[in-house]
Amino acid sequence: MISSKIAIKLEGVSTVYEGERRPAIRDINLTVEKNELVYVLGPNASGKTTLLETINGLLPIFHGKISVFGLDITTQGRRARCEIGYVPQDFMVEPGEPYTAFDVVMMGRYSKIGVLNKPDKRDHEQVAETMKLLEIENLARRPMGKLSGGQQQKVMIARALAKEPKILLFDEPFSNLDPESRENIPLLINTFHKEKEMTTLIVTHDLQGMLENCGRVVVINNGRVMVNDTPDKALEQWRSLS
Amino acid sequence: MIWLELGIMQRALIACVLTGFLTGLMGVFVVRMRLTAIGYSMSHGAFAGASLGVAISANPLVTAMLFASTTALFIGPIADKARLHADTITSIIFPLNMALAFIFLTLTPEIGLTSQVANVLWGSIISLTNTDMVYLVTLCAATMAIVHFAWKELFAIMFNRKQAEADGINAKPFIYLVIFLAGVVVTFSLKLVGGLLIYALLFNPAASALQLLEDMRKIIILSPLIGVTTNIVGLIVSLFLDLPVGSCIVLVSTVTFAILVLLSPKKRRKMENETLEVNH
Repeated sequence: MISSKIAIKLEGVSTVYEGERRPAIRDINLTVEKNELVYVLGPNASGKTTLLETINGLLPIFHGKISVFGLDITTQGRRARCEIGYVPQDFMVEPGEPYTAFDVVMMGRYSKIGVLNKPDKRDHEQVAETMKLLEIENLARRPMGKLSGGQQQKVMIARALAKEPKILLFDEPFSNLDPESRENIPLLINTFHKEKEMTTLIVTHDLQGMLENCGRVVVINNGRVMVNDTPDKALEQWRSLS
Repeated sequence: MIWLELGIMQRALIACVLTGFLTGLMGVFVVRMRLTAIGYSMSHGAFAGASLGVAISANPLVTAMLFASTTALFIGPIADKARLHADTITSIIFPLNMALAFIFLTLTPEIGLTSQVANVLWGSIISLTNTDMVYLVTLCAATMAIVHFAWKELFAIMFNRKQAEADGINAKPFIYLVIFLAGVVVTFSLKLVGGLLIYALLFNPAASALQLLEDMRKIIILSPLIGVTTNIVGLIVSLFLDLPVGSCIVLVSTVTFAILVLLSPKKRRKMENETLEVNH
């Protein structure tokens, strides 16, 4: 499954939210190659989150086809999701929720561990190592709901990275981070992308934290791909559009 | 403790321990997955089943169990088909079961609300048999085995279903399993407290444990312990005050919850944090 050079392929994809008539994204054609790092830009409510959730198979496709490493997301979605690390937008846990940060990061490995199996030594080591990389190892035993927004965001990023996925989907991953983490976390994602050859899609509405080795920028507006080009050209076109 | 020499009381005590454990354990999943309407639906399903049993001259408890289990089996798939939360479907099935119960009772006006139907509604420790004990022990073993093996998936789904699915966990079968198990546990606990009070046993221990602890691994142990303790205390209170067992268990369980809400260390810590923030 992982031998395919194309990591993600969308062919004429449209997604309509239940109860709505207008598609949130429409007729999207997009190919992301293995080990590519792509930024998805666009204003608020332009369809960026919908695009990620559609790629992940969390939203049903109204029209078109999506394949992840050759797997049809509609029929083999669960198998494909085992290879995708997903960091959702503004994920906040209420105070008093009975889960520690370590528990939440370990959940990222569950699909790798397999049904009925228990986490082993390697899983614990992987989780501890990832938390150390994100400098949150001291938060491991603290309840998730007691952490700040930025700390929770780091835990969710650790959850995605601890999974050792082939594809990373980030939805506004830097939005809640403090200024220092806003510099460090993009570098860390950069390292993971390069060293572990993870295909990475980062959705954002601003250009802060833009990674050096970003290969391509896709601009979405009103649910359509407006620009799909190298960062310099894409940004130029986007500025002229806005 | 002369009363303990009586077979009926021995069975009542064993039933208190086993149902307290089962409802306390399943209650954690029901509460955390927000399936709270399931208790109402199951108990009224059992009432409809018992009424049907009386109408067709079958054993009301068997038909009660069949009706409640069947209801539990279909709630999950119907909710997914209708694209509604399982709680909404259980709220629709709840009045349906009541309507069916009244129709079945109308079909047999000469019997009406007989003691057999009333036993399902209010519970009856007199009707507990040795076979019921065997069923409860088997159900305890099966439930513990299922929870042990499916723990990590249930744990992730309780935290956040959407994120669990995004990580590649197939959440549906596990949610159906919880609904079905909760339905079976409710059905087998009917003889102790009855259908009208059973949901207190399902929610109160879990809600009480959540007041005390912030670690799900400890909550899943404490909730069944609270369930067992409140059941036993309720049984003893009923014996001393000569009141119905089910009602006493629910009273003890609710008082326990109320005390824990007032003494909740989580709440205290939250207030302390807020005070610190204000002072800074």
